[in-house]
Amino acid sequence: MLLDIFTFSGRLHPLIVHLPIGFLIIAIVFDILSYIPKYQNLKPAVSITLFLSFIAAILASVFGYLLSLTGEYDLNILESHKFSGILFALLTGIYWLVSIDTFNLRSKMGNRLNSVLLIGLGVLLAFTGHQGASLTHGQEYLSFKVLTYKSRNKPKTINEVLIYEDLVGPILKSKCVQCHRADKMKGDLNLESFSEVGKGGKSGHAVVAGNLEKSELFRRVTLDSDHKEFMPSDGKPALTKDEVEIVKFWINAGASGDNVQFISMKDHQRIRPVIESYVGLSSSSNKLEAIPSDSSLLNPDIPTDINMADINALREKGLKVRIMLNKPLMLDVTLRSNSGIKLPEISPVLLKVSKNIIWLNLSENEIADTDLNILKEFHNLEKIRLDKNPITDQASEFLVGLKKLNAVNLNETNITEKSLNILAKNPNIKTVYSWNSKHK
Amino acid sequence: MGHHHEKDFRLHGEEFDPLNNKMDRRDFFIKTSMGIGALALGSLFGNKFFAKNRPAVSAATSDLENEILRALPHIAPKAKRVVYLFMSGGPSQLETFDYKPKLVNLLGQDLPDSVRQGQRLTGMSANQSTLPMVPSFCKFHQHGKSQTWVSDLLPFTSKIVDDICLVKSVHSEAINHDPAITFFQTGNQLPGRPSIGSWLSYGLGSDNENLPTFIVLVSKNAPKDQPLYARLWGNGFLPSKHQGVQFGSGKDPVLFLNNPEGYDGEDRQEMLDYLSKLNEMQESAYGDPEIDTRISQYEMAYRMQTSVPEVMDVSDEPEEVFELYGPDSKDPGTYAANCLLARKLLEKDVKFVQLYHQGWDQHNSLPSGIAQQCKATDQPTAALIMDLKRRGLLEDTLVIWGGEFGRTVYSQGKLTANDYGRDHHPRCFTMWLAGAGVKPGISFGETDDFSYNIVKDPVHVHDFQATLLHLTGIDHERLTYKFQGRRFRLTDVEGKVVKEILT
Repeated sequence: MLLDIFTFSGRLHPLIVHLPIGFLIIAIVFDILSYIPKYQNLKPAVSITLFLSFIAAILASVFGYLLSLTGEYDLNILESHKFSGILFALLTGIYWLVSIDTFNLRSKMGNRLNSVLLIGLGVLLAFTGHQGASLTHGQEYLSFKVLTYKSRNKPKTINEVLIYEDLVGPILKSKCVQCHRADKMKGDLNLESFSEVGKGGKSGHAVVAGNLEKSELFRRVTLDSDHKEFMPSDGKPALTKDEVEIVKFWINAGASGDNVQFISMKDHQRIRPVIESYVGLSSSSNKLEAIPSDSSLLNPDIPTDINMADINALREKGLKVRIMLNKPLMLDVTLRSNSGIKLPEISPVLLKVSKNIIWLNLSENEIADTDLNILKEFHNLEKIRLDKNPITDQASEFLVGLKKLNAVNLNETNITEKSLNILAKNPNIKTVYSWNSKHK
Repeated sequence: MGHHHEKDFRLHGEEFDPLNNKMDRRDFFIKTSMGIGALALGSLFGNKFFAKNRPAVSAATSDLENEILRALPHIAPKAKRVVYLFMSGGPSQLETFDYKPKLVNLLGQDLPDSVRQGQRLTGMSANQSTLPMVPSFCKFHQHGKSQTWVSDLLPFTSKIVDDICLVKSVHSEAINHDPAITFFQTGNQLPGRPSIGSWLSYGLGSDNENLPTFIVLVSKNAPKDQPLYARLWGNGFLPSKHQGVQFGSGKDPVLFLNNPEGYDGEDRQEMLDYLSKLNEMQESAYGDPEIDTRISQYEMAYRMQTSVPEVMDVSDEPEEVFELYGPDSKDPGTYAANCLLARKLLEKDVKFVQLYHQGWDQHNSLPSGIAQQCKATDQPTAALIMDLKRRGLLEDTLVIWGGEFGRTVYSQGKLTANDYGRDHHPRCFTMWLAGAGVKPGISFGETDDFSYNIVKDPVHVHDFQATLLHLTGIDHERLTYKFQGRRFRLTDVEGKVVKEILT
């Protein structure tokens, strides 16, 4: 019971430790400001803040000592942190005695020397604090290595997903490495990298390829969460069901690492939906229905990227732009009938997004054949409506080359049989509407 | 008149500037916290989407980016518009599309228990001492390239069988009219959920800001034996601007749209501008979404003052069109006239047009009743398909025909030499779909020789709804609306896209 109170109090150390820091900073700031005549009246406050810092530092040291008793820390850093912490408390106390008027020591030493010593105290504090931070967060936490570290890009397709780098590694990193790392090494186990995982720890092999029962890591994370040996310990967040599934799959499939593609592994199909949702690739929540994934049916030439300003330009010109799909960006563009807008006026803005336009409706807008030569650029167009325009057979010449086109509406135009013959050359065009045109 | 209000509202005059510039504690917290929220949100969405080619950010482009991010089509859509011909009352599948020649030999025999499988019957026929089976009184013939069997009661529909996809294995859970229609329209038997058209309006928005997104037309030339409640095209918990707007057949197709007597309407726009400013003040004070609805509906009504008379005017239609739709088509409010009007609305890119034709509830005197129903609807229905097809609109319009359930193989009431009735039967019935993204000229699903149970490819009401949404580009599992702590869907927790009927 007594030990529990100690442990509990020890855990307050990271909280209390900030008090002496704050007080000392105020003392330094006040001390320096007091050189300015306007702030001279701050001078007497330095002494009292220093006293507070001293008391807080003693408390922090006591609580810190209690925390160190739990024995979870790197001994070398711990020793120097303990030493510098106690030293700081002592020096602050001495300095406080110097600063109080009773002994009148300060004036003997001179103001400037006093201030320099005070700043020196600040430096000692910074060192102590850094040691403490290294204990909790690890030495790499605030190093230049972190600053220049380049994280692996999120995979964009399932083909890019690597089993260790994208799946197992990140799971270990988020759930295990806080304790099982080079400078903490709980249970003599380090899970920071693939090569280290193989070495195992105090309880034996963490992972045995193809053998779940002998893999200590898997046994520990799948124990009942009340079990003494359950990992992660101390109520830290456990692995999710999906994460356990991934680790299980990885061990069963040989626990390989270093640039092994997920899709190259055996039985990967079974777990693929879990993987896709884990790395955020799944396009649909609907995994039970075997609807062919839409992307496989879509035309890969449609750009996924578009300049926002171009869509706005179309709208400002009075065109109706409907977004049919956002990935890739498919547009359905309509020029409302009898709009009074001439096609050549809007051709430049249309051409800017020509590859994104999948459906285009230009019916009843006094369009002439020559206006339509821009259509050659609409490589991904699937449906076009040109009905109720004074166009002739010449228009079909601009359409026949469009590989994706499947429906052309030429109702109530001046086309003849000839247009149908021209368009018949494109096998993709399934329907040509020519109702009330001149061809009959 | 407007000169009184040159500077918006008096409250914003110079003398009020000091007052208006004051920011009280509450304002401060609201504004700063929203700012922080927006920052957080910005960093969540920022750069993810259009990292390249980012132009100078204007309000319009960031709205657009949001639009694209939210852009609902989860799937490349096939249908841009939907027209749903609802045959209310439960048309008999046995006299229309589900041809069961073996029944002729079973005339008058009791329905075998092995077929009924202990199914509960309605209170209307449960007390009958016998359940005598009765074949269709009318003949069936094969039509079109697909050689589809269609009843002689539907001579015009017979001509379009190669354009439609018959689904003979639809089944429902409800056995009485109102719950069954409510189930079809809203995905739940109890009232209160949004109708299909409201979901589409909410999910996909409008393609024509001058007309409502969801328009309802009810035939006047149909027996009104079972009521149709306006909640069937209600918005449920969705904002009320998504509710269906019913167009009537009289002098005013949309009520209260015309200017009141003695008012010339010249300053209507100005009046509406001030009104929306007032409403916006209310909105910012109370944040009630119904105020937004009110603002947008006032503006919509104003635009409809010109757009509705224009779309209702059929004087430009050539005689040939009226001949196509049949003699009723010149009489506004009939099913035929509504079919013609539906075509005109679809031409204007109205997203969802729903027709209702009542009177298919033939518990008795079925032969004469259903003949009359078919006569009123067969030609206009076929005409709508033909008209949409020749205009190229069937390319991206989905057409649906069907009722809320089917009818029993046994006769309800007395079976005589030339008369019988049929009770409600939700276990199997026929619907058809045509147009955008649907395989034409096929039949899907099969029933047993009694048209009592489904033997192949059942299609539940939720499956039908999932398929409808799929064709418009919506994943039915992802179109949700959170209400009272729960996310609701049209298909609730069920529904499976019938991919076999998709092109």
